[in-house]
Amino acid sequence: MAESTIRRATPLLALRHLALVVVSFVMLVPFYWVLKTAITNENIYAYPPGILPREPHLYNFVDVWYLIPFPRYLANSIIVSTIAVIGNVVFNALAGYALTRDFPGRRAVLALFLSCMLIPFQAAIIPAYLVTAKMGLLNTYFGLAFPLLSTIVCIFVFKAAFEAVPRSLIDAARIDGLSEWRIIVRVLLPLSKPAIATNVILSFIWSWNNFLWPLLITRDPLMQTLPLGLARFLSYMEDTTGALYAFAVMVLVPSILVFLMAQKEFIRGLTSGATKG
Amino acid sequence: MSVRRQLVSRWVIVPGGIAVVTLVWLAYVAAHDHGVVEGRVVDRSGRPVGGASVMLFERGFVTHQERGRATSDADGAFRFTDNRSHSIQLEAEAPGLGRSERRVVRLWFAAQDVKLVEPLRFATSK
Repeated sequence: MAESTIRRATPLLALRHLALVVVSFVMLVPFYWVLKTAITNENIYAYPPGILPREPHLYNFVDVWYLIPFPRYLANSIIVSTIAVIGNVVFNALAGYALTRDFPGRRAVLALFLSCMLIPFQAAIIPAYLVTAKMGLLNTYFGLAFPLLSTIVCIFVFKAAFEAVPRSLIDAARIDGLSEWRIIVRVLLPLSKPAIATNVILSFIWSWNNFLWPLLITRDPLMQTLPLGLARFLSYMEDTTGALYAFAVMVLVPSILVFLMAQKEFIRGLTSGATKG
Repeated sequence: MSVRRQLVSRWVIVPGGIAVVTLVWLAYVAAHDHGVVEGRVVDRSGRPVGGASVMLFERGFVTHQERGRATSDADGAFRFTDNRSHSIQLEAEAPGLGRSERRVVRLWFAAQDVKLVEPLRFATSK
């Protein structure tokens, strides 16, 4: 690169980085504030607000652990999210593979899927509740995960990933005698790790943060998940600024951890369909 | 992917690390959760107060309720053996001395064994 080009590019690059720093700061400040409040007993409405935590401690986390059945809520959320993640990877991979094949009415199915994405879940929640009740799944872990066992967005993520695999590879596998199931398991899935990671992250976060559906179908307080526990905690406690935010941090940490572990594949999974020719 | 590479992947190391830390913590808790709370009661000048009644308050949802009493010996030492809470308050009472300040004791887990570093102190002397 010529020296003049570098000289022109440097201020532009600095400006771009400055914009990124500002945007990152705006995005991260609320998280910092939540964390800071969680480790202190500061009133969030205090003026002027303290930038640094004063007399930080971790006892708010201990309070949250013992004042409500936090371990039980945590276990419920982990079980429900695990079921949702497994269901998503299995069912979406099968649906995604089917949509890469030619069959009568394929375009109609695609159009149906796309149009269903326009319907908000709140609009379909009564039929979903009735179906779940008829199946006897109310107040069960499987019932809690039921609406998230397969999601249309994630089906399309798998479809895009499978379409990126060369057709000749699948034909070769078929000539070698592999069944359709084994083509998915042995050929397509190992080549679609970004799509799997995207499915894992999205389904985990959706299930982890789900509030309305668990609120509707749980009868037993001990079947509640963390978002419901958070609402319950908020309704029971007074003067809980620190403990409340400690609860929020404890709810956030697992999903942030899952995201950080799979972020490379997740971003690749989201962009692979976008860059396909 | 080889087994060795799978074992050192972040999908194994991070959950494995969390599991190890959790197990170590649970072992530590199991060894130190007998509910023993020990301390001393002294008067304003630092002399031990025997026969003082020490009250243990346990945290409820938003308030503290009295859960037990112990009496200090001649050295001013007292001991509770049945604390089940993670957040307690201690207060001493003795004839002629009134009540000590109420000490807040925060614990890292329920029923943690604890020995007060600073004694409960009355505002007056014997």
